[in-house]
Amino acid sequence: MKAWNDTEYTEGRRFDVLNVNRKQLLAAMVVLLLVPTLSWGAGFAIFEHGAKSMGMAGAFTAVADDPSAMYWNPAGLAFQQDKGMQLMVGATLISPSQDLAGSPLGSYPGAGYKASQESQVFYPPHFFFIMPISSTLTVGVGAFTPYGLGTWWKPNFAGRFISKRVDLKTFDTAFNLSWRANDWLGLSAGVDYAVGQIDLTTGIGFINPYTQQLADVGQVHMFTDGMGSDAFGWNISAFAKLGYGFTAGVTYRSTLDVKYDGYGSFTQYPTGYADFDAALGSQIPFGQKVALKTEIKHPDVMSIGLAWSNEQWTISGNYMWQGWATFDSLPITFPDYPQLDQTVEEGYKNVSNYRLGVEYRINEMYAVQFGGLYDDTPQPEFSMSPLLGDADRRGLTAGFSVTVKQMRFDFSYMHLFMDQRGTDGISVDGFDVNYKTSADLFSMSFTYQF
Amino acid sequence: MKKILAIAVAAVVLAAVPAGAVDFTTYVALGDSLTAGFSQGGLVETYQEYSYPKLLADQIGATVFEQPLVSEPGIPPILMLQQLLPSPVIVPSSDTPGQPLNATYPAPYNNLGVPGASLYDLLFTTGDIYNLLAGNTDNVMHDLILRDGEHTALEQAIGLNPTFVTLWIGNNDILGAAVYATPIEGVTMTPVANFQEMYQQALGALAQYTSADIVVFNLPDVTAIPFVTTIKPYITLPDGTHVPLIGSKGPLPENAYVTLGASSLLAQGIGVPVEIGGTGIPLPEDMQIVGGHAVPGVVLRPEEVSIINDRVAAFNQIIQATADAVGAKVFDINSIFNRIANEGHWGVGGLEINTDYLLGGIFGYDGVHPQKIGYGMVASELIDFLNTTYGLKVRGELIPQVNMYDIMTGSAEDQPAPGLTAQDARRAFTAEAFGALQKVFRPLRIDVPRTPRHPAGRVSMAHPNVKSQAVMH
Repeated sequence: MKAWNDTEYTEGRRFDVLNVNRKQLLAAMVVLLLVPTLSWGAGFAIFEHGAKSMGMAGAFTAVADDPSAMYWNPAGLAFQQDKGMQLMVGATLISPSQDLAGSPLGSYPGAGYKASQESQVFYPPHFFFIMPISSTLTVGVGAFTPYGLGTWWKPNFAGRFISKRVDLKTFDTAFNLSWRANDWLGLSAGVDYAVGQIDLTTGIGFINPYTQQLADVGQVHMFTDGMGSDAFGWNISAFAKLGYGFTAGVTYRSTLDVKYDGYGSFTQYPTGYADFDAALGSQIPFGQKVALKTEIKHPDVMSIGLAWSNEQWTISGNYMWQGWATFDSLPITFPDYPQLDQTVEEGYKNVSNYRLGVEYRINEMYAVQFGGLYDDTPQPEFSMSPLLGDADRRGLTAGFSVTVKQMRFDFSYMHLFMDQRGTDGISVDGFDVNYKTSADLFSMSFTYQF
Repeated sequence: MKKILAIAVAAVVLAAVPAGAVDFTTYVALGDSLTAGFSQGGLVETYQEYSYPKLLADQIGATVFEQPLVSEPGIPPILMLQQLLPSPVIVPSSDTPGQPLNATYPAPYNNLGVPGASLYDLLFTTGDIYNLLAGNTDNVMHDLILRDGEHTALEQAIGLNPTFVTLWIGNNDILGAAVYATPIEGVTMTPVANFQEMYQQALGALAQYTSADIVVFNLPDVTAIPFVTTIKPYITLPDGTHVPLIGSKGPLPENAYVTLGASSLLAQGIGVPVEIGGTGIPLPEDMQIVGGHAVPGVVLRPEEVSIINDRVAAFNQIIQATADAVGAKVFDINSIFNRIANEGHWGVGGLEINTDYLLGGIFGYDGVHPQKIGYGMVASELIDFLNTTYGLKVRGELIPQVNMYDIMTGSAEDQPAPGLTAQDARRAFTAEAFGALQKVFRPLRIDVPRTPRHPAGRVSMAHPNVKSQAVMH
């Protein structure tokens, strides 16, 4: 029995197709920049860049047998030459659910307070194109969203002075060259060009000196437009066929130190006390769009995998290490209004995660995948906030692949169970709640062999 | 077998009763204005309900916690913010004070914080509600709160058989030096030796005559309050240069403090050099006694600040040592306020409240006392302290925190909408506002009538009604 992708029928046509579709591909990549996304890996990493790999819970570093290898292990491209040019496009629909409840150990928002995030569906997309350029060399281009988070709370949410709504994402365009050194070893090196976007709205609260109570005096919408908020990174990887059906892989992706240039747009809410409003107006640039800067150093990532396959089965395990200690703080500075500068303490730690996946190829047309994962959260309890309240997570996955001639359709589902977790009186923001989170993820990918 | 089972059950039962658990059944708070919930220059129900002892009592589930409530606008009438810009104007909200609401409660109050009370007062001063109701205002706060004419606050506290006591006393043994801008030994500051003797006496009596768990507060830095820190000792010209204000001892150095008591003087050009439009008349730096009454100074020079801060440190050492000697816990409010001062804010809900005057959120209009949010903050920190110190969290008996969100977002019914008047010439703290404050915080030895008695004479003080509840054990 052949695996679904053991085909030869794209030979001879690959370059023409590339020429025809170049503009469309670029257009697609621009569109990808515009969509919202959110966090569904440890911290605000996203691992779901291919439906089949998600169906195997991301245990894909030692499998790497489809174009999503561009993320998991680009060295795996070296052994996909017999498939010719391949294009994979897809998206992962993510439906998160998060409730929070005030902790009796914290004075704000207080025990008994409850809130739920607004319903949102995110769809971080993925795009990969790979092309053999000689008998041993393959190039790959990929576009995916390795980092992102999105949370949205109701307007009267008690944590509105920390965040009303955030959409943060880092879009990665990768270019890799993969080399099949011999029959059993493939190596790859690549560059990553990352563009970061931040869109964060927070309320501005002050104690009204007349009422001596909390007053919503305005809000600030902080955002970047993608221009100039970028960084370069690199990646190296190796893929080895060890014999007896065993394969192994290792991938290292560097840090992405994105420096953001953006704006803060301040809006004032009248309080009914004209001189109080005027006093605030003399300190805060209401009605203006002022420059801001921030920086996020995304972690470096190392993934190591071991897999065993025969004609029908693949069993794969994956260990991933993430150097999240790079995310120690989030400084937001307003060069023209230094009194508005703020630094959010994050204090992330380096973490590991573990993935186990299985694929069963029923016949040439159908295959199914299953998997499970465990992600250790890099976020310490004290920095959990309405921006991101993370926790250790366990995931179960199932996937389904259909191959029809040059086309393959992958569908997969993941349910993430997250531990209930809270700050219990140590919140750096003075916002002590317990977070309860879960998520359902649906991924679809379409792969075409030219 | 039955015996083994009985032993096992007994072991389980014993394990379920935590050693050293705190009994909050009868909570009594002793102290001064900060304990009473005094705010905006007055004692009034709307703020007393947010006193830190009341907030704590609510959280520990105390079934009885009585306070000497006063109707609006308070005693004395609380201050109000009349306008914020172009310069703030703070005035008394009424000429007519409020009335006692709970004067017939037939037992000592659980909140025995007496505004203006010093350590001496805790031990020796009594009050008679009939004296107050007869219209005499020579001892208002003690009359209002202690009522029976015989028993001191300390005696009444002991008489309640408390199971838990907080004691925050000593602020007025040094605060007068800041409010009157003049540290004078024995007049605005209690001598260290006297403080030590009296503190040992007071805490010793609580330890000896009650079986209560006792938490004592140390003293915050009294020179860090907005009353002292708000007004700069100079005027900044448009080009950024500083022109020093003039005090009775000469131009003020940059590290001097000018109290809010100078507000109305500055508004008249007093203390402002002639060359920038002032009168050139110097600000009165130090307190003077005129006709038997204290006329406050308004300038604290650096050497005076050092004297005051050193005295606070000395008192705090005594508090710590005395507490250690009797097994009381020390709630280090001094470090908490210093932390807020150093970090610039107390973070709550993503907001940053601080000690700034008017806009900071912690202090009220008198610049000395917290407002509701500030008292909530004290209660919150105290609950953290209790949960940690007594291991309540570990034992699953934690005191739930106060709800700052509710405190911060409650209705504004107690503050009338401001109306601008023609009094715009005055700045910030009006002379009337300052006068109202002085009536509560008098110097220790100038004009406050005292009823000194030796503690040994207290044991026979058993009487019906209120007095019957104040029997010493």
